[in-house]
Amino acid sequence: MPTEYGGYMGKVLQIDLSSGVCSEYPFSDRERELFIGGKTMAAKILYDNLNGTEKAFSEENLLIISTGPLTGSGAPSSSRFNISTISPLTGYITSSNCGGNFGYYLKKAGLDALILKGRSKAPAWIEIQNDKVEIHDAQDLWGLRSSETQQALDEKLRLKNGRVRKNGKICIGPAGENQVLYSCIVSNERVAGRGGVGAVMGWMNLKAVCAGGTREVKVAEKEKMVKHTQKWFRYLKKHPLTGNQLPRLGTAGLVSPMQMRKMLATKNYKYGEYGDFEKISGELLAEKYNFVNKGCLSCPIKCARTVEIDGKKVKGPELETLVLLGSGILNNDLEAVLRWNNELDELGLDTISCANTIAYAMEANEKGIWKNGLEFSKTEGMMELFEKIAYRRGIGDELAQGSKRLSEKYGGKEFANHVKGMELAAYEPRKAVGLGLGYAVSNRGGCHLNGGYLTILEGLGLAVDQTTYHGKGDLTMLFQDLMEMISATGQCLFTSYAFFPSPLMNHPNAWYTKAVNKVLPYCGCVVRIINKFPEIACFHLPVFHHTKGFEYVTGMKMPFGKYVRCGERGYNLERELNRRFGVDAKKDVLPGRLVKEIQDPKNPASRVPLKKLKKVYYHARGWDRRGLPTERLLRRLKIKEE
Amino acid sequence: MVRVKIFGVARLKAGVPSFESDAETLQELWKTVPGLTRKEAKDLLAFVDGKAVGKKYRFQDGDEVVLMSPAGGG
Repeated sequence: MPTEYGGYMGKVLQIDLSSGVCSEYPFSDRERELFIGGKTMAAKILYDNLNGTEKAFSEENLLIISTGPLTGSGAPSSSRFNISTISPLTGYITSSNCGGNFGYYLKKAGLDALILKGRSKAPAWIEIQNDKVEIHDAQDLWGLRSSETQQALDEKLRLKNGRVRKNGKICIGPAGENQVLYSCIVSNERVAGRGGVGAVMGWMNLKAVCAGGTREVKVAEKEKMVKHTQKWFRYLKKHPLTGNQLPRLGTAGLVSPMQMRKMLATKNYKYGEYGDFEKISGELLAEKYNFVNKGCLSCPIKCARTVEIDGKKVKGPELETLVLLGSGILNNDLEAVLRWNNELDELGLDTISCANTIAYAMEANEKGIWKNGLEFSKTEGMMELFEKIAYRRGIGDELAQGSKRLSEKYGGKEFANHVKGMELAAYEPRKAVGLGLGYAVSNRGGCHLNGGYLTILEGLGLAVDQTTYHGKGDLTMLFQDLMEMISATGQCLFTSYAFFPSPLMNHPNAWYTKAVNKVLPYCGCVVRIINKFPEIACFHLPVFHHTKGFEYVTGMKMPFGKYVRCGERGYNLERELNRRFGVDAKKDVLPGRLVKEIQDPKNPASRVPLKKLKKVYYHARGWDRRGLPTERLLRRLKIKEE
Repeated sequence: MVRVKIFGVARLKAGVPSFESDAETLQELWKTVPGLTRKEAKDLLAFVDGKAVGKKYRFQDGDEVVLMSPAGGG
């Protein structure tokens, strides 16, 4: 539906792959005001169309690719797009966020979002060029790896003058085609990795989508936005995290701090530190292998690495991959991880879930409950193993199901490291208990970002007490809501790190930083007031440029408090949708290892006090004892109408 | 004599992954970090045997000290 706001293209397109019919999906300005875009817009569409009986692999499920109003607006790191659907791994909502340029090109084609449903009779790919939508046969693409697919698509989009028409692409690899439950969707070198979105696309018999066009993203107050963007870029470039650490070391730079803080997932999360961590560190990656830094469109941070392996330049691994395929399986061969990372992207497998599932299988083998031949430290034949998973051959067919289903079959649930079926990220939460809470309550399963990323306070960035539960419930809620909204607007979450004033990051030994570290856990009641009454913050914060940027692009009023409230609405909306699929407090659990086993024998507090944390968190959120939003809260947030 | 390892962006500036020092306290060690001024070294986190230590901590002979820049998110 047409819009009066800037940043939006005013159209959501729905394609039914069963019938080939395309239609416009109505999404009003009122809905834009409340549900903004990206993952929250997608959650609203799912909320309005699903009743809780739908399965991931069914004609009723929807695969929604959505952008935010800031996507393609020129704001820093604003090329993101989101993919939401019912996850085959969890059976609940998943939202997978991706950089690159597809979001920008989807908007150039005049679309805010694309809804895919149904199932094509034969393999297909979709071409969108402005208002023209064509569904093509993809028999010749089926079976190709992700880079081959994208190259082949470029050939199909080659113009008579020999140049390739400007376009953004998403595609699946062989893993998605074979519906490996944790397969991903690839866009250039970037990946929408989590929750098995690639498997849903594979089930739909859809190999790829290409989008492009000539539409412009309208900015409500262009001159003000240009000036604000320049200031914002300068701020990010000067900040120690977004201007120094992330550009120079990438996310891999966290390996060493995680080791020091004992939160480096090691041997399937049995330990929080790894003797050979230096051999898989971000410093070594930067010194020996990094060829050039890369960034998404309009990103000043440029956190992506490009490494050279066997004379070929390929994408370097992110922190999660490095840790889970390194210390997670006791592998100290960095070069091997670089190769595996590339191979997993080519096959279209989520590196996090894949590595965790293999680590589970190794431990199950070690304990003798599932004799499968996989051993920690023994990394020969790993490339073949990935291929077996992607093509579901032999043991690969079992591993393709993820650690939850395997632990239900073979036992060892206490060391199957997943939440709601989705495997955990690389942070060992017994020394970051706030993140432990975040993992447990996250709407999409074991995710550090959807979980609020409290590790940035618990040793990575600031240094509050890592094992106390004080204040963590309220802080988790605030961070989750902020990150929810940043994602909804189409920006990268890394821009939020500049929220922490530079002096605190630059001077960790200064008295004021130490004071903040000591006091922060006991500020729960102050954070609670912000969480309960965010509207009192009816101003813009000097360290948080997002709110003004949003106003200049869209023309909507968005003070800091309203920004937080919109994030809260998005988080509760996903939770309410998940309630229909059976989520409640009983599903917000961590593997037994993390809540029962003490990580450090000298420190009895080194496990996640999940019960206490959940109690405070539910109370902070205004949820009932079952961990569900109350009717009153849903009405107050306008998720349900009065 | 202590062995000092450097991590984070400070290591890229120092140009060496590790060095040896005969400093007895962290305060003394700050003056000896290659490539970094005392002021810059003062802003590094210090760990001995995996435990964070303060500026007055006295090193034992043979200690392995880790100096690290504050990190961020990933």
